[in-house]
Amino acid sequence: MSPDALLVAEYLGRALYGGAILLIAIGIYAMVARYNLMRVLLGLALVESGVNLFLVAIGFRPEAAAPIIVGGVTDVPMVDPLPQALVLTAIVIGVGVLALAAALLIRVKETYGTLDTREVAKFLAAEPADAAPAAGTAVAGTPARETVNAGSAS
Amino acid sequence: MTSGANTLVLPIVLPLLGAFLLPLVARFGDGLARALGIVLVVVNIFLGWTLWSAVGTEAAVTALGGFEAPLGIVLYGDRLAALFVAVLAVGALIFWPRAEHGGVKAYTLTLLLVAGGSGLVLSGDLFNIFVFYEIVAVASYGLAASSGDKAGFGAALRYLVLGALGSSLVLIGIGLVYAAAGTLNLADIARLAPEKLSGTTGLAAFLLLVLGFGVKAELFPVNTWVPEVYAAAPMRVTAILAGVVSKLAMVVILRLLVLVFHDPAAISLLMAVAIVTIVAGEFAAYRASDLNRTFAYSSIAQLGLVALALTIPATAGILAAIAVALHHAVVKPAFFVIAAKWRGPLAGLAGGARVAPAAAGLFVLLALSIIGIPPLPGFWAKLVLLGGAFDAGGAYAFAAAVVLAATVVEAAYLFRVVARIWQPAAGAKPAHFAFSDLSPALLLGVILIVATLFVAPIGTALSGAAASAADAGSYVARVLPGRM
Amino acid sequence: MIGLLDTLLVLALLTTVGLYVFGANRFAGYIGMAAYAAMTVIVVLVGQTLSGGETAVPSAMAFTVLGYPMTWRIDGLGWFFALLTTGAGFFAAWYMSGEWNEAQPNKRIQHGTLALNVLAMLLLVSSGDFLSLFIGWEIVSWAAFAMMTQLGGPAATAALRYLLYALAGAMALFAGILIVRSATGSFAFEDFAAAVPNLPTATKWVLFVLFTAGFGVKMAIVPFHLWQAPAYSFTPGASSSFLNAVSARMGLFALTLVLIKLMGPALLAGMDIAYTWFDARSALLWLTAITMIVPTYIALMQTDARMLLAWHGIGQGGYMLLGILVGTPLGLAGGLLHTFNYATYQMALMLAVFAVVHRTKTADLDELGGLITRMPFTYITLLMGIIGLAGLPPMNGFVSKWMIYKSLLNTAQPLLLIAAFIGTLGTILSVYKLIHNIFLGQLRLEHREVKEAPLSMLLPMLTLAGIGFVTGWMPGLALSMVDIAQSALGIGLQPHHLGGVDLPNGSLNMLWVVGVLIAAIGVGALIFYFLGNRRWEVSQYDNYAGGHFLSADVRYHFSHEFYPGLARVIGPWYRGWVVKMERGLQTLVAVLGDLSGGVFRFAHTPFYLLVAVSLGLLWVGLFGKI
Repeated sequence: MSPDALLVAEYLGRALYGGAILLIAIGIYAMVARYNLMRVLLGLALVESGVNLFLVAIGFRPEAAAPIIVGGVTDVPMVDPLPQALVLTAIVIGVGVLALAAALLIRVKETYGTLDTREVAKFLAAEPADAAPAAGTAVAGTPARETVNAGSAS
Repeated sequence: MTSGANTLVLPIVLPLLGAFLLPLVARFGDGLARALGIVLVVVNIFLGWTLWSAVGTEAAVTALGGFEAPLGIVLYGDRLAALFVAVLAVGALIFWPRAEHGGVKAYTLTLLLVAGGSGLVLSGDLFNIFVFYEIVAVASYGLAASSGDKAGFGAALRYLVLGALGSSLVLIGIGLVYAAAGTLNLADIARLAPEKLSGTTGLAAFLLLVLGFGVKAELFPVNTWVPEVYAAAPMRVTAILAGVVSKLAMVVILRLLVLVFHDPAAISLLMAVAIVTIVAGEFAAYRASDLNRTFAYSSIAQLGLVALALTIPATAGILAAIAVALHHAVVKPAFFVIAAKWRGPLAGLAGGARVAPAAAGLFVLLALSIIGIPPLPGFWAKLVLLGGAFDAGGAYAFAAAVVLAATVVEAAYLFRVVARIWQPAAGAKPAHFAFSDLSPALLLGVILIVATLFVAPIGTALSGAAASAADAGSYVARVLPGRM
Repeated sequence: MIGLLDTLLVLALLTTVGLYVFGANRFAGYIGMAAYAAMTVIVVLVGQTLSGGETAVPSAMAFTVLGYPMTWRIDGLGWFFALLTTGAGFFAAWYMSGEWNEAQPNKRIQHGTLALNVLAMLLLVSSGDFLSLFIGWEIVSWAAFAMMTQLGGPAATAALRYLLYALAGAMALFAGILIVRSATGSFAFEDFAAAVPNLPTATKWVLFVLFTAGFGVKMAIVPFHLWQAPAYSFTPGASSSFLNAVSARMGLFALTLVLIKLMGPALLAGMDIAYTWFDARSALLWLTAITMIVPTYIALMQTDARMLLAWHGIGQGGYMLLGILVGTPLGLAGGLLHTFNYATYQMALMLAVFAVVHRTKTADLDELGGLITRMPFTYITLLMGIIGLAGLPPMNGFVSKWMIYKSLLNTAQPLLLIAAFIGTLGTILSVYKLIHNIFLGQLRLEHREVKEAPLSMLLPMLTLAGIGFVTGWMPGLALSMVDIAQSALGIGLQPHHLGGVDLPNGSLNMLWVVGVLIAAIGVGALIFYFLGNRRWEVSQYDNYAGGHFLSADVRYHFSHEFYPGLARVIGPWYRGWVVKMERGLQTLVAVLGDLSGGVFRFAHTPFYLLVAVSLGLLWVGLFGKI
């Protein structure tokens, strides 16, 4: 590998970290700043991609080849295969979780008629014993206040 | 591969296999699937027991597929792991769903939970811990949504979002550990930790791991899902999640603390999180509006106690953590059984003692134990915890003072309910309990009383388990013989 | 080997189980009487063993949990309080044996909780180390809660308030015993007593504050006094009398054990508070002085007879602790004797008041009056009781208060003596209000047909009053019991004889005092009856004022706002900062609760995670360098 190519590869490796952090940041921004649950889920997908990229970046070596043994040659430097295996697993798990989330999202939309997480939270904070409100209407949680009776000195 | 290998592999493999077989079996009848699930759970209890009696002070270690550590995947079974395999299975058995609770889907998810949970406590490397943690998480998202009522979906989705974000944090933390240490085998990390993980990277990894696992372990501030889910999910799910699954995440944190992170900064970080968790939980419970939320917040506070116990140095802390966790695993599910019937505002509970004297009496017993009134088991758990804290002194004494003050608040909200239950009914009477409704709680109450009578031998057994779990040197020596 | 103490505890346990099972039976009161009498006999036998030179009677019961041994054994101090407990249980059961029993809807709970309290107290006073002391303490607290809460309504509210105070105290105690264990390596009393002089001053202070606060809550020392009077007053009669007589004294027992026996008054006196004249002991002495005065004047303002007496109980506890903290043999003997005396007259007083309540269905001092003709024996009991409570001869309260005053004089503490006098003045004023508003003056029309209390209730009342008189006449009888308690404390005994005590600077011989008093009354009676007996009896309704005949429906019984001038003077001090502090604490907890709950109700949960991660990483970046 030529020194120039090595340098490019090294910068590429650093760029991987930058990209990962950028992806995570965008994802977290979407999750925190947006109230639409669909966007929150998209943000989650971005965060997961970012994390996966981060893991891949950990295993990256600028001078190394892909960790595949070709023709019995084992003494070439290879990138660390373990993070790649991890990422493979993580992607699979992430897909599963996102699929489940999407399924729940549909049910949420059907049930509450909204995807606004604030509305959902209001519904959840409401008294369970109150008559379940019609879909889409939120009930503000006003729990019954009570304190231990103070009594008095007399 | 030792003869103990099967007892390490089977608690994970059998329920996992069963979980995927059940939908097929269910084609021949729901009852058959239910029976198969119960059999598998009972087998897991037996396996946990076998592992407990087999390991003694020497833990069992299995390298899967014959690849030895640190390259291969290692399962590590000590008494702590055996205990939680058995407790998880017992919890699943007591709260095994019935046909009307979702049928085969619920059986499958519960078995998945058992498989993932067993894997979580038995795994000897970080990445498997992540995988099993995700299995547990997915199963619990599904179960949380399975109530079929309106609140369930929203709560489950919000839980999922938080949980998935937490998992990402765990993954980043694992990545950092791997970047620093170059291995994922816990024993190997333990060996390298003083050299490679004592700096800022290690601390950042610890922070991310604690916050990530903290989602399941109900640590502040990533526990906001708890009151929603526990109020909306079916009682059986709530009982298992609060009673057992949260403790499994704590076991992982325990392993990390014992093996990897000895940094005083890491310890003080966890202690701060624990104290805030206790305070937030108990105080929020004081203002909670119904029983389910009261117990959800109380559960948060109890998990905070476990986390606090983990920060106490040496065996005393781990013993306290196990004791508090086990006690809570008995008491809180029983509480949720009562709360399942007595829904609605607390004011509506007046007259409960007349309608359901057994439930009311049980409530008092459980409340006394969770407050820590001698001679009930909760007292001994708190004695070990606070004794360890006062022995450690300094900030721990402050933490102990917080715990003591929180206990008074705890008594205030629990006995406010007790007083309410014993008042004459005003308006509609609280629900009556059929025997089958209350029987899981009664069973747990009996376990509590039996534990009170046998507190001395139980204490000795747990001390042994705690001592071996606290022994990082033996962990490394067992997994990596000849590498010390 | 089953010893005396084991027999006692097993008997108490069997009584508890038995009375809970058979408590609804109409003979439950008699079963209880027999059981408590048997327990008292066993306690007396234990006392004989103790006065025979044994330091303690051990129990065969012992456990070791998690490496912590727990033992039970009873020494002289515990014995003294055990005797009070079984005795009070006996009289309470006697009171509950006849008509009272039949009138109660919840007799099973009343009998069962009484037995449970006796059992718990016996366990507590026979504890052999700090761990068993704490266990006994918790069981006593919760048993008392079970007793207080039984009637529901205001009783449950008061009981819950008690519970929170008691639990806060117990938590202080929990911290205390764990600090003791950390400092000395064990829960044993002996190790603590040996190690405490060498502990760092800070540790000594922490322990002193924790133990004083923890036990003081039960004693209702100011500022932990708010719970006691309501909690005791709303409990059913016999149980309330029992609680009044001995329950709060468990705090005194434990304080005496830890502060006097284990730490010692000299050690406390050596713990100076910087920049003041105070040390630990004198600071606590002044706290007890406040406890003597403030609750007594709160009692003066009460309009409920039960509350009036219960508030006095708090003040009287102050006298006992004052005597004990003086730390001289005379002071200790005075404090312990006052505990015994108080139990006799307070129980008689409460039983008498509850007899009135039983007959008239009210304890409101504004709605009673003139009952002297209807309930003369109850009146006599109450009269003897208030003489004891006010500390006047010939009743026993005089002797113990005299000894406490004398010990203050002998240790040159005149200011505390004045404080004690101020307290006694308030007592005299308020007990006059009590007897006047119930028994003197105009009989209300609705009480015209009220009958005297039944014999089953009169006999225990009169017996207790009689004990109060006899031990006032011959205090040596009670002082010989105090000797056994005092011998366990290691401060020396107060020499005494049947009639009182001999001191170099002024002795007390009650045989003479009572003799002179009776002689004087006899002379007065002679003059009154035989030298011109000018009295004649009229109907209680045959009254006139200002030349007008007063018919029975005109209310002229002066009872409402009994001491208006005094109330104006002390009014601003009354219900002061302690109540505000309690309310403030409740508000604080509620606000913190709302804050915590608000965190969990926040709509956008990932936000917290982001904040936590950011703050955490910032912290790692700033402080993570090792």
